[in-house]
Amino acid sequence: MSNVLVIGETDGSEIKGISQQVASVAAGMGEVTGLVIGSGISEAGMKLSVAKIIMADDTSLENYDPVKYASIASHIVKEHNIETILLGATSMGKDLGPRLAAELNCGYLGDCLEAGSEGFVRPNFAGKVLAKSNPTGTIVATIRNNAYPAGEAWSGSVENYSGEIAESTLKTTDIENVGSGTVELTEAAIVVSGGRGLENAENYDSMIRPLAESMGAAAGASRAIVDAGWVPHSHQVGQTGKTVAPELYLAIGISGAIQHLGGMSGSKCIAAINKDPDAPIFKVADYGIVGDLFEILPILKSKF
Amino acid sequence: MNIAVLIKMVPDTESKLEVNDGALNDQNFKYMVNPYDEFAVEQAVQFKEAEGGKVTLLSLFSENNSIDTDLRKMLAIGADEIVVLRQEGYRGDKPLANAKTLSDAIKELDVDLVLCGIQGIDYYQSATGTMVAQMLGIPNISGVTNLEYNSGTLKAKRQIEGGLQTVETSTPALISCQKDMNKVRFPALKDIMMSKRKPFENKKVDSIDSNDPITSESSLPPARDGGEMIDGENAEDKVKKLIEKLKMEAKVI
Repeated sequence: MSNVLVIGETDGSEIKGISQQVASVAAGMGEVTGLVIGSGISEAGMKLSVAKIIMADDTSLENYDPVKYASIASHIVKEHNIETILLGATSMGKDLGPRLAAELNCGYLGDCLEAGSEGFVRPNFAGKVLAKSNPTGTIVATIRNNAYPAGEAWSGSVENYSGEIAESTLKTTDIENVGSGTVELTEAAIVVSGGRGLENAENYDSMIRPLAESMGAAAGASRAIVDAGWVPHSHQVGQTGKTVAPELYLAIGISGAIQHLGGMSGSKCIAAINKDPDAPIFKVADYGIVGDLFEILPILKSKF
Repeated sequence: MNIAVLIKMVPDTESKLEVNDGALNDQNFKYMVNPYDEFAVEQAVQFKEAEGGKVTLLSLFSENNSIDTDLRKMLAIGADEIVVLRQEGYRGDKPLANAKTLSDAIKELDVDLVLCGIQGIDYYQSATGTMVAQMLGIPNISGVTNLEYNSGTLKAKRQIEGGLQTVETSTPALISCQKDMNKVRFPALKDIMMSKRKPFENKKVDSIDSNDPITSESSLPPARDGGEMIDGENAEDKVKKLIEKLKMEAKVI
């Protein structure tokens, strides 16, 4: 058993689901300390499911800054003799993790599917190969969303961080919400994705987005329609896009190129709708409907 | 503005992934420039065209020379020179060691900006760039989809959950580039011819020990079996059956 640090992230007055998942992974690995960094985070930070929480709460920490955040985390790691540092594989975790590992001159494992005292498993080649390792020294690891169930929210003891915060030239000047109100792709329990079968951008907007919205799902896309300019890259699922592992992945008009499958084959359940019965997507789908999506989608939409 | 662009040579996407006795067989890999790094090269060349200066491409690889042709294409896009650090026993899955070697090499160049791709499409760690920045003691901004430079100040938009974070910093800094950043140009024949005369230096560097974790076992993920094709009299019937299965069998909605 070792000393474990979980670096949590907040979203308004809530702790992020991914952070609770990481906390539950950590619980099986040793004595856990939580660290939450931000500004005005006391309410949300308290909910992190660990026995002891350190809050670094300062107006200068409102937005993620790799230089400042890494300085705080490395201070705590040294002070508390921590050997394992776990973060969610988010836009922050995937940036802070390696920066912190470099600062501690220790190993880093990104986007892990499994983490525990027995070792870590992470995907290589967009999930086409799984690599296991059993690091011996200090290690920083990020854990992929939905790889583990979340721990319950509860309040541990809280102490405030009083160490130094490094100077940084980075300054966040704006946070822009793209497609506000929709669920983030990598965090969604359901992903509704569209591909070339939709024929044009207007059909994506009028069919995929509303269906996703009424199902409480995130809207994803194949590389083909991102390259065609129908939707921005932030929607892309696959090798050069995002890797998702939702409860349900609904692939609509997507043939299922190997690069796409790499980004979604970890989903719990895959359902596909395509007019081509030989489309490769059906080889990985749990449920498939062969048919005309323009006929099927309006019916599907009416059920939610 | 002098810019260094970090280039990783990665197995091309057609490479066959075979695992023998728990080890990935990399004997037959063909290598190509990591696609994300091409966005970094294009961005560097655009800055050079606007501001002047020099674009140096820096790559770390084994002593195998089969990568030279593909790397040279990056010179045709408009970079000025290539330095390839040749290291015996180089491995693409040792970000800490590789960042150390790369950051030592960058210190010898006089650069204001370091650009790289957000991740290699081999090991997907998104680690080396960020580690290089830490070792150089400069700030980094990762996953950037839009980058502007104005007299010493960089303005970057990076992808975050549900949106974009705009971050400003002074140079020097390291930026990792995301796919939407630009459209990589197709070089004209004249540029391809010119690229053959641009400097291409191979430099031997020592192997170093590091704390990078070692993969103890590689495996192929369990294959997903094709599932059930849903039949029905008409679309309405098929949809009804699908929803029932998602609710009752898979229990995902």
